Amino acid sequence: MRYFLGILLSLPLSLMLVGLLAAALPMPWQGWLVLQLIVAITLWMVLALLVALPAKTWPPMAALLVANLAAWLALQATPLYGVGA
Amino acid sequence: MKGERLRRMIDLHAWLGMVSGLALFVAFFAGAINVFHHELHHWQEPHSAEQAAAPMGMDGLLEQVTEQYPDARKRLYLLPDEDPGVMWFESSEGDWVTAHATDFNAEGVREDVPRSALADFINELHFALGIPNPGWPINIGMTFMGLISVMYGVALFSGLLIHWPKIRKEFFALKHEGNMRRYWKNLHNVIGIISFPFHLIMSVTGAAMGMFTVVAVLLGALVFGPQLRGVISEETEVWSAVDSQGDTVTMPLMDDVLAAARNELPELTVDWLEIRGYGDAAGWIDVAGSVPGYLGHHAHVVLDPTLGPLRVIAPGQRSVNFASLSPVYSLHFGDYGGLLVKLLYFALGLLGSLLFVSGNILWCERRSDRTGPSRSSAFLLRLTLGVCAGVVIGIAFSFLASKLLPHTPLAGLVAVAERGVFALILVLLVAWSLRASPLRFSSQMLRLAPLCYLAIPLLHTGLEGAHAWLEADNRLVNLLLLAVAACLWVVRRQFRKRIRQAEPHPLWVGKVSEGDPKHLTDTELEADAEALNSAT
Repeated sequence: MRYFLGILLSLPLSLMLVGLLAAALPMPWQGWLVLQLIVAITLWMVLALLVALPAKTWPPMAALLVANLAAWLALQATPLYGVGA
Repeated sequence: MKGERLRRMIDLHAWLGMVSGLALFVAFFAGAINVFHHELHHWQEPHSAEQAAAPMGMDGLLEQVTEQYPDARKRLYLLPDEDPGVMWFESSEGDWVTAHATDFNAEGVREDVPRSALADFINELHFALGIPNPGWPINIGMTFMGLISVMYGVALFSGLLIHWPKIRKEFFALKHEGNMRRYWKNLHNVIGIISFPFHLIMSVTGAAMGMFTVVAVLLGALVFGPQLRGVISEETEVWSAVDSQGDTVTMPLMDDVLAAARNELPELTVDWLEIRGYGDAAGWIDVAGSVPGYLGHHAHVVLDPTLGPLRVIAPGQRSVNFASLSPVYSLHFGDYGGLLVKLLYFALGLLGSLLFVSGNILWCERRSDRTGPSRSSAFLLRLTLGVCAGVVIGIAFSFLASKLLPHTPLAGLVAVAERGVFALILVLLVAWSLRASPLRFSSQMLRLAPLCYLAIPLLHTGLEGAHAWLEADNRLVNLLLLAVAACLWVVRRQFRKRIRQAEPHPLWVGKVSEGDPKHLTDTELEADAEALNSAT
């Protein structure tokens, strides 16, 4: 269950982290969409792996939830969502 | 890495392997054959059909198809060949339809010519486990395999972390030291370590292709908003959709189209043509193919109906998105380095199948050793053996049906029979494996499987004579099938050797009791020792 949840919650986080990277880099995000996809997939795998490292189940799950929320809030501060094209 | 952490890594690696192992076995075994997808397309055509002269060329075929099927005018794919083919989405059937020049009689009427669909079936087994797509916006089988690829990637990284500290020690450690189970564990590790880069490529590219729709939807919902949808098509399609003004145009001859494309890109090797808006002045033609000598070798020359160049996409003349998309495909399909690279992918694909089946067997034995007798371990071992034997022998029977049926009164059922016989064999063998002794079942299947793959080239030779070996693609596919038979024979020999040299694990003969000795792997023993040390 822990591994399954880890894989599930890592997906949106990896995508939002790549989105933050796209917002931070001084180049149009449209120009490297395929690379973003590949980076996001690899990051997803690494995050799912990191979830398995701590001894207890709840700290990595809580960390994933908090990180997802933080990444989502941080994205709202970028011009990406709907207005940055 | 601390003992407790190492133990969790091993658990994660084993859990992911168990969840994804069987699906990956199917994908890798079918994928190894699918490396030669184009050759298999040629192999599946009966010799008699090849001998019939095509009644029309590419232009005649396009004329017939676009006259009889208006949907084809919107968007069609032309496959230039001795018997050219056209593929389009037929809205009345709700599916893509393929018609070849030989499907049309002298009066230009399309007849229902039975054709083998073996290559497409093997391809579907590879990327979607053969799960049909009923026209939903999301391909369930493909997305499922995308998720499996992600789990496979996590299993790879965890496997690397587990073995990294002693990678040099284990690299050539293919020895059993009196314990045959160590041999299989070492074989699993050696295959995993040697082919790690190949598996990493497969997992990332497979996940990128399989999860594309899900990732695109989530990227749109979470990161880029609704603007993403238009951007994806803009950045990954060769030219924009046809904006028809109602003006018609006489379509150029396809030989002229090919000449114009080669004029723009002399080194282009043409694979197919996409025509949007056939006969419409606003339409366009994409001549798609390869520029040999590059990893990302895919190339496109987009022309308007008057053969004016609209866009050239080729190595050195393309956007970052096209430059990164092309290697994703070529690295996955292994079509960038000629026959040698394809043969390497074929061998690594078969080795990958062995990696997954050995991993599953090791997990079942390990779990039985660690936790004592377990009905679930016994079930999983039997299921693994049943699915693996069912897939291997089922595919062989699909090949046999593909060659045999066109020479019988049941020729019209060939495409259905190829899938049906596979499903039947798979279900029967899984049912049998759940009832039989795993040891006896494995012995019988490993005796049968090489014979099945040996029978295919023999049947082909018996039916079509020397043509089965004189034609290059036929010869290659038949030699590959003989190679599969030889590999299965080697596995059988190793399996028999193991039975002779060491007593089988109790799980294999259905006798697991509390008193059976526990066999922990070296890594587990070290993890236990470290955990004990840290506790004290």
